Amino acid sequence: MALQNLGEGRSRPSFSRYFGVSRSAMASPATFMALMAPGVAIVAAFFLIPLVLVAMEVANGPDGWATYLVILTNARYFESLVQTLLMSAGVTVVALILCGIVGMFLVRNRFAGRSVLIGLLTLPLSFPGTVVGFMVIMLAGRQGAVGGISNALIGEKIVFAYDIAGLFIGYLYFSIPRVILAVMASAEKLDPQLEEAARSLGAPRWRVVRDVILPGLMPGLISSGAICFATAMGAFGTAFTLATDIDVLPMVIYTEFTRNANIAVAAALSIALGVITWLCLSAVRFLVGEKADVTTRGGA
Amino acid sequence: MNATAMAQPGSQTVQTEKTGGTRIELARCTKTFPDGTRALLPFDLTINGGETLVLLGPSGCGKTTILRLIAGLEFPDAGGKITFGEDDVTRQSIEKRRVGMVFQSYALFPNMTVAENVAYGLKVQKVERRERDERVRAMLEMMHIDMLADRRIDQLSGGQRQRVALARAIALRPRVLLLDEPLTALDAKLRVKLRTEINSLLRKLGITAIYVTHDQEEAMALGDRIVVMQKGAIAQIGTPREIYRAPLSPFVADFVGASNRLDGRIEQNSLVLGDVKISLDQIGHAMTGDPIKNGDSNSNSRSGQGLADIYFRADGLAICAPDQGQIRGRVEAISYLGEKSRLTVSGIGESVITLDVDPDFQIAIGDDIHCRFNPERLTVFGRYPDARNAAQAM
Ligand SMILES: Nc1ncnc2c1ncn2[C@@H]1O[C@H](COP(=O)(O)OP(=O)(O)O)[C@@H](O)[C@H]1O
Ligand SMILES: [Mg+2]
Repeated sequence: MALQNLGEGRSRPSFSRYFGVSRSAMASPATFMALMAPGVAIVAAFFLIPLVLVAMEVANGPDGWATYLVILTNARYFESLVQTLLMSAGVTVVALILCGIVGMFLVRNRFAGRSVLIGLLTLPLSFPGTVVGFMVIMLAGRQGAVGGISNALIGEKIVFAYDIAGLFIGYLYFSIPRVILAVMASAEKLDPQLEEAARSLGAPRWRVVRDVILPGLMPGLISSGAICFATAMGAFGTAFTLATDIDVLPMVIYTEFTRNANIAVAAALSIALGVITWLCLSAVRFLVGEKADVTTRGGA
Repeated sequence: MNATAMAQPGSQTVQTEKTGGTRIELARCTKTFPDGTRALLPFDLTINGGETLVLLGPSGCGKTTILRLIAGLEFPDAGGKITFGEDDVTRQSIEKRRVGMVFQSYALFPNMTVAENVAYGLKVQKVERRERDERVRAMLEMMHIDMLADRRIDQLSGGQRQRVALARAIALRPRVLLLDEPLTALDAKLRVKLRTEINSLLRKLGITAIYVTHDQEEAMALGDRIVVMQKGAIAQIGTPREIYRAPLSPFVADFVGASNRLDGRIEQNSLVLGDVKISLDQIGHAMTGDPIKNGDSNSNSRSGQGLADIYFRADGLAICAPDQGQIRGRVEAISYLGEKSRLTVSGIGESVITLDVDPDFQIAIGDDIHCRFNPERLTVFGRYPDARNAAQAM
């Protein structure tokens, strides 16, 4: 899958690199087939077959194959798509910037409570989206902590759990652990002497960040950013719990499917969601992947 | 040679003051890290313009810290002062200091080609394109890597990488070139080859250079002067010959390879070792005066009586005919080194002694041998608490 290739920051995915063996060391075709069979079976049973079934479902709708175009032609769906894309991209960018700085700091500095802080930052990994949504409500909902405090201070309840800000915070919250861990893994491998060498050549801080640190972190940023984006595109639990007033695409799909029994449209939107997410990730990979590829393979 | 003529640490005994390079002075510098580690005790150090100064010492003695102070990557504790020529750089940041750095890990930018690496500093300094290309080409040619210009770093061998790192460091014509164990990651043969190249490069450029190593041989081969360091302090400063022949302390003697040690006594201007008695005037290097303290010696007063530590290399003791022998020993091991054989001999001191013989000399393990000292090659230290501590501190 594109995602995994992205994850490795590689430009030309190949079987041998993927499985960590060189072609010459590979087993005979028969053994190869035998080894591959379980994987192929699982992919077929749980991914390909349902995918084909969903794709076929579209044809049963009143509009037939043309249903695939509703996401572009129907204003409501299209708006939902744009909102979802913007939200996911926004969450990804903010998470990358935030975690890039925090992860770098955590790797480069040792202080009391460091491991506790890392533990706390990566805790949301173990929470499902529904729980995260619930936490956002506790924070910024009608009875939330923020509202309570602001009410006491300025006599006005600040509530943002149910609009775009709440959703954004929820998504950000569970994006942070993955990105931080990936950034820290990349940052550990970054030789501090690279930065010192650049500085000795007169490079100011911003140039060191641009020319040395960012290229070094790029593989981690791309892989975790891709996961972050894809997760946000498909996230459902948080949006559902928040009963938010903005329609993210997964919510629209759910509504069409369960309430309106509009199975063909739900199926078309599902496929579209998958394809568009994949296209976005491929585009990013195409734009920055080459660079990251150089960075991963370079170094002493 | 004797110790009276020896360099006092900090004094200038360098023969040739080369022109062109920047003179660097560190005055009353100390370095205490935030965690309380006292990495450098108070010291003064002057590096003459164009000189190659080698910082030599065991791991953790503070070599890198001195280098980083000069680079501007660390700052000395309050009271210290660092000048480049007339320029007080004590609080100047590394970006402004114009220093070239070469690291053991090469620290080449993996996302750039060889030529881009070398061009990086010129680009940052906004050197115009045409001149930049010209300078990069000249640097690559000088380091014999012009054919690698468009290679990526991961396509280079270790030796090639270090050449690129050197080219990158000197491309900006820095005021001082700082090299931190640049050859340690390379294999022995390449190390010697590159060492020779670096040596001629430094002479050709006439640049002030500070070279950190823990390898005594490298220090001897490259340094105009060597600073031997011990636990955050300067143990001795001198030319390679001075350091080798006239170490100021047992620590220095041992560190630069005088690994044989015997216990003796000093009586009436003579070194006494069992039945053997050698006049101190014949001894190559004798430090029998006042307590040796921080390299500060006064070896004029030789009247001292008492215990002595004798240090020497494999050439300080030689096999001889039985009637000429001063002491006897037993051969424990023989290693054939090609142009010589090295014997490990027991029975002379508390621990075994190594000495060299002609590789064709007929001898076997277990043989009894008769040996004679070569007084010229002995180093004798009157034993004082300070000297003892220094020796044990290693
Ligand atoms: N940033 C630092 N913080 C605390 N102690 C340090 C730091 N850098 C070096 N040291 C300590 O200072 C001493 C000298 O280190 P260093 O200059 O790197 O030695 P060398 O280069 O001779 O091996 C060592 O004891 C080392 O542990
Ligand atoms: Mg060091």
